[in-house]
Amino acid sequence: MGKPKFYDFCIHAVPDGENTAEQLAALSRHLGYSGIALTNHSDKLPLSQPVLPSTNEFEIFRGVELAEENPSKLHGLIGKFRKFVDVLIVHGGSETVNRAALENPKVDILNHPAFAKSSGLNQVLAKAAADNDVAIGLTIRPLLHSRGQRRVRLLSDLRANLDLARKYDVPLVLSSDAMSCFDLRSPMEILALAEICGLEEDEALEAITIVPEIIISRNRPGPGYIREGIEVIEEGDYF
Amino acid sequence: MKRLLPSLRAKKRYLAFELISEAPVSRNDLIKEVMFSASSLIGDVTASECDIKVLGFEDSKGIAQCSHARVKETRASLATLTRVNGKRATVHILGTSGTIKRATEKFLRNHTTFEPELKVNFKKAGEL
Repeated sequence: MGKPKFYDFCIHAVPDGENTAEQLAALSRHLGYSGIALTNHSDKLPLSQPVLPSTNEFEIFRGVELAEENPSKLHGLIGKFRKFVDVLIVHGGSETVNRAALENPKVDILNHPAFAKSSGLNQVLAKAAADNDVAIGLTIRPLLHSRGQRRVRLLSDLRANLDLARKYDVPLVLSSDAMSCFDLRSPMEILALAEICGLEEDEALEAITIVPEIIISRNRPGPGYIREGIEVIEEGDYF
Repeated sequence: MKRLLPSLRAKKRYLAFELISEAPVSRNDLIKEVMFSASSLIGDVTASECDIKVLGFEDSKGIAQCSHARVKETRASLATLTRVNGKRATVHILGTSGTIKRATEKFLRNHTTFEPELKVNFKKAGEL
């Protein structure tokens, strides 16, 4: 096994965040990532999506973070965006939105599921997440910028979700949720922080390397892909 | 006082780091901020076990020291540093080593700190 490839799947560029996509890409490359996904909130999308050059060592994926309170509108948005993006994130935050996101197999990641007095997940939702292969996003930015009571709350929510995720085998994704260049951290730092917050070493590593890769390979089917489960592996003239 | 035997001295790790910041930062401000973020993340007890010290800091590059068994905690608490003296800043750890000499040679000698370009842009944003 070579050096693991690290991905950051939740980065907000202008106009949602503060910095341009180029700056964020340059810094994440410098920090040692192999790929990032630019996921602006759906109400703050750039007017034209610039096509950024991807090289072999560094890839920029298209993404979106849907923020919508109404579940049926959310399902509509998911259908609309699914064709154009590699990474589809739902910004959770209420029971109905979390439920709608976790029960839709087209969603890749659910971020910020917590709401008043609840970590945002329960056994029903965790099971739905596992069945539909929706990952739970663990975001670093809130942990960096809060202190004291607020951070304690965030960490206990994270632990509660982690317990459920372990029990029902829900995939986890670690991401920075960066709004500016100063919210980005290098993969090793994110791993260390995740371990301090209660993740096991291999869980944390999987959440920043393997799970993002699986999401991308699912959404970017190879050339021989026909439909789920059917794929042309070797082409030949059989007829 | 008699010096402690080498075999009895606490084992250390040295972390070479760069500071990516909006404005130049002094060593004293950085030390204050590192200590504050360490004790607020991992608590005073664990922070004392980590034995974090910022040894040298110059030109946005520096070396921090920690206990060899507490590298992870130190990394995590350095990661939670968000501001120094009111200006936004990020610590990026370039690598760890068992000696200061090796850490300097391996990680700092040929390393140019990132982003002159970013700083220009931030100034522009501040003017607007």
